[in-house]
Amino acid sequence: MSTIAVAPAPGRARCRLVAGALSPRVLHADDGGARVALVATGALLLGGDEVRIDVEVAPGGWLEVVETAGTVAYDAGGTPSGWHVRARLGEGARLSWCGLPLVVADGAHVRRSTELTLAARARALLRETLVFGRVGETGGVLRAVTRATLDGADLLVEDLDLGPAARRSPGVLGERRVLDTTLALGWRPVEVPAGHRYDLDGPGAFVRYLGADTHSGTGPALAATSWRADLDLP
Amino acid sequence: MDASQSVLLALLADARLPTGAHTQSAGLEPALRSGLPAASVPAYLAARLRTVCVVEAGTAVVARHLSLAGGRARDLVAVETAWAARTPSPALRANARMLGRGYVRLLHRLWPAAGDDPRWRATRPVVLGLIAARSGLDAVNTARLVGYDDAQTVAAAMLKLAPLDPLVTTSWVLAARPLIEALADRVAHLTRPGEIPACGAPLIEQWAQDHDHTTERLFRA
Repeated sequence: MSTIAVAPAPGRARCRLVAGALSPRVLHADDGGARVALVATGALLLGGDEVRIDVEVAPGGWLEVVETAGTVAYDAGGTPSGWHVRARLGEGARLSWCGLPLVVADGAHVRRSTELTLAARARALLRETLVFGRVGETGGVLRAVTRATLDGADLLVEDLDLGPAARRSPGVLGERRVLDTTLALGWRPVEVPAGHRYDLDGPGAFVRYLGADTHSGTGPALAATSWRADLDLP
Repeated sequence: MDASQSVLLALLADARLPTGAHTQSAGLEPALRSGLPAASVPAYLAARLRTVCVVEAGTAVVARHLSLAGGRARDLVAVETAWAARTPSPALRANARMLGRGYVRLLHRLWPAAGDDPRWRATRPVVLGLIAARSGLDAVNTARLVGYDDAQTVAAAMLKLAPLDPLVTTSWVLAARPLIEALADRVAHLTRPGEIPACGAPLIEQWAQDHDHTTERLFRA
């Protein structure tokens, strides 16, 4: 398991970093938090891999996670693999994690889970780009579960069964290969002039693009850039 | 099924129930408008029974359970919060809450209880759960009701949106019976808000948002 824990401290924030399948490296730090890159320590994601990333931002702190490369879940002949993120944000903490695409190749069987626990006044900005198949492929099996709570109450819970048959059903993804989402939790961000926007019942919203390729949907990219400003990161 | 259950289920599943069913297409109108072929409508109906309907049915079952367990107002608020977190489309949430008003009138007139507040508002599945609790409808039938109602809504709306033999659309609902049973099996035992499934359907949600901004439409949702 990889761990990134950040806590504000006079002079320079305290960072506890533990390397797993992904190795965290501090790019920048101040007294409130840090920008941390995640670097894969080997080929990812292969059958049987269970990547776990545990993130903790102490009250009032900030953390920006930067991925250096997208991830391909390779053909594993159907052997399951997993990508699990758990993030806990203390009161008033801020997290930005605009991830790079996860490409689910033919023969991959991935379970992805994102669990976010926000204390009062915490804010999280996340981008998740899911791509089915490399060029010429239809793509493997993916189940993507997101669960976010704010101050103990469910804010967004989504469980997407994106196996080939289920996702091609009319109303799920149909023939679309890309599911690209930028999600703001803990506040109601400004409108961006592209993509479909969904305001949550609680404080939060996401912009989502469903389409044929990653470069034609501009909404999530615009939202990621525009909403990051609301986190007031250095 | 005992006799009281059969009549209750028939009554609550009847399109003549004055709860605004005629305003609903279960997302079929925007689906067809976005290019869903008529031949794919049975698959669309099936996809709903595996996704958004599971959330609705789970919500109704949990609301029913908590109400029977002596639930207070704040327990139902927790169910509503769980449902809302699992229903990311604001258009779908607004529609379900609009429908909820009709079900509240039904609840207060047919199954009144001391302390009922006529101003109470909740989403349709939460009110349906309360109706189930007070009328005596069991958990499995509550879930079946949600699944059946959704399938029948798609089938009935199809007749207004595309010319088709009504026997064909009725056969779709009958063919969906195993899926309705599977849905009921999946949620009937649920008791806590956190257990409500969160099966999403991104295109259904996107179409619902598009439909909300459309001025020329036959159905509200």
